[in-house]
Amino acid sequence: MTETVLETTNLTKRFGALTANDDISLSVDRGEIRGIIGPNGSGKTTLFNNLTGFYTPDEGSIVFDGTDITEWEPHRIARAGMARTFQIVSPFRNMTVTQNLLAVEAPDSIEDKHARAREILEFLEIDHIADNEARGMSGGQQKLLELARVLMLDPDCILLDEPSAGVNPALEKRILDHIQELNDDGTTFIMVEHDMDVMRTIADTVTVLDQGQLIAEGSFDEVTGNDRVREAYLGREVDLEEVLG
Amino acid sequence: MSKREGSLPPRLESIVYTADGDGYDWRLAWGIVAVLLVAIPWLGAGTFELRILIGVLMWIGLAQSWNMIGGYAGYLDFGHGAYFGIGAFVTGIAMVSLSLPFLPALVLAGIFGAVFAYAIGVPTLRLKGAYFAIATWAFAEAMRQLALLLDITGGTSGLTLPSTMAAFGIPLPDLPRVIYLYYIMLVLSVGVVVLTYVLFEHHEFGYKVKAVRDNEDAAESLGIDATRIKRQVYVLSCTTAAVLGGAYAFYITFVHPQEVLDSMITAQMVIMALVGGLGTILGPIIGGALIFLLDRLSALYFGSDTMYISLMGLLIMLVVLFAPDGIVGLLTGETDASDIRSNLNSLLEKFKFQ
Repeated sequence: MTETVLETTNLTKRFGALTANDDISLSVDRGEIRGIIGPNGSGKTTLFNNLTGFYTPDEGSIVFDGTDITEWEPHRIARAGMARTFQIVSPFRNMTVTQNLLAVEAPDSIEDKHARAREILEFLEIDHIADNEARGMSGGQQKLLELARVLMLDPDCILLDEPSAGVNPALEKRILDHIQELNDDGTTFIMVEHDMDVMRTIADTVTVLDQGQLIAEGSFDEVTGNDRVREAYLGREVDLEEVLG
Repeated sequence: MSKREGSLPPRLESIVYTADGDGYDWRLAWGIVAVLLVAIPWLGAGTFELRILIGVLMWIGLAQSWNMIGGYAGYLDFGHGAYFGIGAFVTGIAMVSLSLPFLPALVLAGIFGAVFAYAIGVPTLRLKGAYFAIATWAFAEAMRQLALLLDITGGTSGLTLPSTMAAFGIPLPDLPRVIYLYYIMLVLSVGVVVLTYVLFEHHEFGYKVKAVRDNEDAAESLGIDATRIKRQVYVLSCTTAAVLGGAYAFYITFVHPQEVLDSMITAQMVIMALVGGLGTILGPIIGGALIFLLDRLSALYFGSDTMYISLMGLLIMLVVLFAPDGIVGLLTGETDASDIRSNLNSLLEKFKFQ
């Protein structure tokens, strides 16, 4: 039996005349890998910001793990078990990798933060740079550091904003393997990703946004076969004869 | 402490480098400094030397106190001097109007500093950058005007404090007063430095503070309550400034708004931390000592503060243009000769006629 971990109802966020999230109702099952796709400006990052408390929605509600978190502040949502990464990597530059992890406000269930940090760094195979300063790391390593920091929260659900963007193919595979491994252990993932090959391999369900609205949902093959989705990405097919008369 | 092999001059290296090759043993160097600091009144230092040292210690403490909020947390507090003044006045009022001994008066100074900092921090820490700087500066000006108007602060005539050690709070052997004042300032200043070192360099609290400074959104996304952290740092740094202000009042025995609430006090703290190196433990120690001594020397040779202010201006320009990481940046190699050269070139570039 599947259990819902995250549910939004009629989620709406407006910026002046622009409705960045328009009446979005979606529900994510525990243990799922959910892909979110859509053209640029379709509202994917706004959705993430709504879900993690960085924006307060104008309408609608967000329920995580059975609790209404719509009005919660970001740090409270993170501590409740919904963690996120950012599109642009944001390591704490003036600290070492280990210190980056120790800065995280881990839940009380983690007794030994140092041990937890070591475990995570070993799991992600970046323990050899544990004492390096974050600012000297490559872009790919910084992505892994972001994932490591998020894992310090021992989250139930992780929101990843383009985890494979700007990462070389070998490292991309490593990141995806780790995501798969964590998912096998029960962590739910919600991913924004432009790389359709990644989506095809990893996502259980794909949600498609366009101009702030949820326009399709289903397996990768279902949504890519959907006319509205093709239209959102490619534009409408026109009958030239009809147009030209 | 991270290993920074090869960043010290060879002679210094041989003194502090341990045989096991595990990095410098700073403990030895600090141990020698600590023994010297405690022993100095008995090694022939007279009133003049001790007064200079009291000044050095106080400014190191104040620069470090500003460094907590300005350096580690990255919030430009241009009203920090107000807390020094609040501490001085609370100590003065407690000793004069309430006839309390110095020690309980100093505790009151710390408490008042903390309460004011909390009340001011809640609204102002929502502001960023220049807006926070302006708001705190305005608060400090308001405090100065208020102290000039109120009766309890002595208005325009200020307050005169008891000048004997009998007012200390604990019976003490009969030694020159300046020796006690030296030890009071030593304990407080070293206390501020050690507190900063432990909390900001070796504790999760410090990592959280730096996380909020580097990227507030990322910090929040990792469960860190950024508002709370900033408030804690602000209250802590303002409280230490207030306590140092209280000690200063007892040392000088005269408190006047135009002196202890002068905006130059904040400016000095900022300059010391900046020149030494923001957000580092050593920066305010080096900057505080160096700039206080420069101030005294310029007063000695040029006879007025005018020259000192121009010297400061020059020093700030040099630091901002060529070594933004301060003296500590130069010592650790963060800023090296090639950085300075490229900074100089890009500066010269701007002066070229097209």
